[in-house]
Amino acid sequence: MKEKDAYIDYEPQQLIMYVENEDGTFGPIQTGSYITKNYLDDFWEKMMNLRNSLLEKLKKNEITPVYFYKLIHDFNDVELSRRTGISVFKVKQHQRVKSFRKAKLSDLYKYAYAFDIPVSNLFQAIVVEDNENKAESDKLKQPILVKQTRTENPFVVITKIELNKK
Amino acid sequence: MIIESFKHNMAAHCESGTLTALLNYKGLKITEPMIFGLGSALYFGYLSRTPNLSFPMFILRTKPGKIRKKIAKRTDIKFNTKQFKSQDEAEQELDSLIAKNIPVACKVDFYYMDYVPQWERVHANIHFITIVGKEGDEYIVSDSYYPKLARIHKDNLRKARFAGGYLAPKGFRYYIESVPEAVDYKKLIPVAIKNTVNNMVGIQPPFIGVRGIRTFAKKLQGWPKLTRDIDHLSHEVMKINVFLEDQGTGGGGFRFLYATFLRQASEILQSKELEDMSKKMMEIGDGWRNISYFAAKIGKNRDLGPEKLQELGQMINERADSEEAFYNELKTVVSNI
Repeated sequence: MKEKDAYIDYEPQQLIMYVENEDGTFGPIQTGSYITKNYLDDFWEKMMNLRNSLLEKLKKNEITPVYFYKLIHDFNDVELSRRTGISVFKVKQHQRVKSFRKAKLSDLYKYAYAFDIPVSNLFQAIVVEDNENKAESDKLKQPILVKQTRTENPFVVITKIELNKK
Repeated sequence: MIIESFKHNMAAHCESGTLTALLNYKGLKITEPMIFGLGSALYFGYLSRTPNLSFPMFILRTKPGKIRKKIAKRTDIKFNTKQFKSQDEAEQELDSLIAKNIPVACKVDFYYMDYVPQWERVHANIHFITIVGKEGDEYIVSDSYYPKLARIHKDNLRKARFAGGYLAPKGFRYYIESVPEAVDYKKLIPVAIKNTVNNMVGIQPPFIGVRGIRTFAKKLQGWPKLTRDIDHLSHEVMKINVFLEDQGTGGGGFRFLYATFLRQASEILQSKELEDMSKKMMEIGDGWRNISYFAAKIGKNRDLGPEKLQELGQMINERADSEEAFYNELKTVVSNI
């Protein structure tokens, strides 16, 4: 790759690329990510579509929160089992609506840990209408901020809703 | 405290970058491409049937951790490595090493590196970072994929070091105890190149090396049957670009990095033939880059019918042909050194 063809002007995601310099030597340059610069909007659109379609199914009680977050985190059953320490058999069971009702609180805590969410979020979806068309990562553009703070109690989280003053 | 004398640099790849930075800190001047090449890290594998993955994927480098193991085996560099069962013990030991001014490389789940943009953060227990300090509840991190020193809360680092799942880090950490005064490059380079040639065109299973590239081209045609919908297929096809360019490869699926290694090797061994091979490898990388652009474009346009996937498969097969010819020639070149 020629040095002149490698530069991508995109500050938010920088990376190192090895190129052929103008003098014929090979070496590294710091440049931006091509795919993120050109296709990030498409990525967020797909993620939002996936989240919304799963949320609809969740609301209709067609899927369980375990299935919802499993897909969001792109885990399969084996990976989720390894990350939670819950058997694959049980992980499969917990993705069935009827069986999920029988899940133990201790298992839910393990799922929440693996999904990096408070346990309470397995039973609620916090949706802020004004934020819905803003990318999740673009906090600065969201008019309302939702902050969740863990407490020493593993089952209790403080959810704060505030105006974005930035 | 921060280990002031540690110099943070971005690098193409986290494992080779971390290792290079630690060796430079210890006084051994060596480049990232040389580490990558001496570690025989260039590879190709298509993983379709494994319970560890939610979707088939291809790999472009050897198993995480193998670069360091190869370097340790081939040189007199002494590493101190350890895994932990106890999270508390791992944290306490890390703190005590930092207090002794020892930068420590840790294997982590990349997802928890919350200083990188959210779109980059995926669960992957294959990332290496260097811890170079601690202030309050935050560790100071040198991450090859981040332009400056970053900070991570101790709870997040703990989660990242002890995430479960495939290739779970289990608190793994290493630091360098000692480095030799010099590395015998003239002896090691041919050995490392032969190893890479064997990985790519030697006797390997059909999903490894050049045969693996062809398997990838073939299996790609079946991806529509494995996906939920067109968005999912688009996402997986566009990940071809991410794997080839963005996930720490130095571009062109590590081929540009390896070309640079061959160029440096040619200078050390004063071999015109190796220099010519470095140019050829750069061109092979350009071909992979064209594939990544094409995958991104058809993914974005949702233009993912059988014809387009066949076209993509054909481009991948062309890479297999080029690489097969390349490694066979490289084998001859290195035998004559």
